[in-house]
Amino acid sequence: MGNAVSAARKSFGYRAGLAVRRDWQLWVLMLPALAFFIVFCYFPMYGVQIAFRDYKAAFGITGSQWVGLKYFEKFFNSYYCGRMFMNTFLLNAFGLLFGFPVPILLAIMLNQLNRKRFKGFAQTAIYVPHFISTVVLAGMIYLFFSPTNGIINHLITAAGGKSIYFVMEPGWFRPLFIGSDIWQNAGWNTILYIATLTSIDPQLYEAATIDGATRWNKIRHIDIPHLVPIAVMMLILNCGSLLSSNTDKALLLQTSGNMATSDILGVYVYNVGISASKAQYSYASAIGLCLNVINFAIIMLVNAVSRKMSDISLF
Amino acid sequence: MTAIAAKKANRVRETRKDRIFNAINLAFWILVLFIVLYPLWLILIASVSDPDAVLQARVLLWPVDFSLMGYEAVLQHKELWGSYLNSIFYTVAGSALSVIVTLAAAYALSRRFAGKRAVNLAITFTMFFSGGLIPIFLNVRDLGLYDTRAVMILMNLVSVWNLMVARTYIQTSIPDELYEAAVIDGADHFTYFFKCVLPLSGTIVAVLSVYYGVARWNDYFTGLVMLRDRSLYPLQLVLREILASLTSTGSSDTFFAAYADNMGGLQEALRKAEVAKYCCIVVSTVPAVLLYIFMQKYFVKGVMIGSLKG
Repeated sequence: MGNAVSAARKSFGYRAGLAVRRDWQLWVLMLPALAFFIVFCYFPMYGVQIAFRDYKAAFGITGSQWVGLKYFEKFFNSYYCGRMFMNTFLLNAFGLLFGFPVPILLAIMLNQLNRKRFKGFAQTAIYVPHFISTVVLAGMIYLFFSPTNGIINHLITAAGGKSIYFVMEPGWFRPLFIGSDIWQNAGWNTILYIATLTSIDPQLYEAATIDGATRWNKIRHIDIPHLVPIAVMMLILNCGSLLSSNTDKALLLQTSGNMATSDILGVYVYNVGISASKAQYSYASAIGLCLNVINFAIIMLVNAVSRKMSDISLF
Repeated sequence: MTAIAAKKANRVRETRKDRIFNAINLAFWILVLFIVLYPLWLILIASVSDPDAVLQARVLLWPVDFSLMGYEAVLQHKELWGSYLNSIFYTVAGSALSVIVTLAAAYALSRRFAGKRAVNLAITFTMFFSGGLIPIFLNVRDLGLYDTRAVMILMNLVSVWNLMVARTYIQTSIPDELYEAAVIDGADHFTYFFKCVLPLSGTIVAVLSVYYGVARWNDYFTGLVMLRDRSLYPLQLVLREILASLTSTGSSDTFFAAYADNMGGLQEALRKAEVAKYCCIVVSTVPAVLLYIFMQKYFVKGVMIGSLKG
């Protein structure tokens, strides 16, 4: 007793030292992962200050001259700023609108299949596209949608239509991007929902059957209410990426023809800051920082609103 | 009455509405499976067909004029195979390191200790906020890792999501009583982790290996930003030049035209280049898909456990 009281009176540093001495082996086990997060995640967060400086390689990050919001102003005054925000937002918003319900639908329908082997096969098959790389996916789009020898245009012309140069049309960028995204990831994203459905107490279904419920009734009154909490959580998570960059995939699908819709912020950051012959580090950092701050704010906001309204939240 | 008939009689009979629903559901799944699998099948059959048949879109259900000339062309592509070896190295070494580091940290985070909340918060925060592409790039450059093999291994070493999945797995599938028993027998955290947790973590090791392995195998962006030396390029970066840009016809044609002498003249080389694209896709995708299919047994189970309370 006396021991505990005196420990509580000791300084924070002393108590921390005591705790570390007791749990030091846990800290050793955590050390490599923590080192990774510090070096590869927190160092860059410290380095983000170059967005407020005029970065010169010779002076380094902290030695370059402080210029305040110069680069933010430059960005917000630039001609394409509005278009890029709009393109980024619309790409993600449409992606969420069309992509979000598909995995839920697939999970519900999969749960209703009664033939075990067919169900297993279907479940295995819908995960496969997830294992294809972005580069290959883009390559498949270029091959299948090619204006001269792609299979899609062969079908269109065979049906009497006119061949479409899909990858050069601004109007086709979003459908191709989002459609291929759904094809690739909708199956994989069912995992969480299937896990939720399999955890439902089978007695509920038995009771419903005895009460004369059809399969549709069971979906409506058992499956869907069970899926709502997890679906809301996924929605919150996805809202955090409403302005996310998608840089890797958009970079592959951007062509000189579809710039009007494919010109998004993430690709712009890459073009200005990495691939340009004279890279503008500070300017590109400022744009990136804007994006990250806005995304972070959105996820916090949605999370808070959801907690208020439905008690469902990430944290 | 036979046993089967008795069983049938005892089962609640499906109503008419349910039978209609089942029929619709079956049709739905046949459509879904067609959409998912047909593009993949098309790639596979085009890769073993004659270039002319592919270009005229006569290859629809089955290979036409079976030929392996595309694969022959791909075999001669030295840079592709160099990058293939690079990718194998980055994937195997990188994933092995990732799995070890993640599992050790996941175990630590599954125990109680002072400062756990702060560590959790600091790690989760990185999921929602990052310095951004340019500060990450400059950080790598300042560390002297730009254009090295090391950066391909160390970047993305730990994924927060995988760490959480592993922690949840350890928490839910290894009983606390085991820890208490081990402590009474004099085990410390090291002993318990290596002697008890690791041997019981087969499933989660399989799951993490697939997650990390596939992500690394398929990643091109890290290489694009962090590498300049072409001899260090991962497979996906070389594939990008062959497949995924509008000028790709140009660049892949020059790729294969370089081997024109071995391939029966320029005209023939260009013809082969068209099918060779399909072959590249097959050659690069098969390892990832095979890994998934082999690991599938552990996979569904492990992911479910991890994700349920993730």
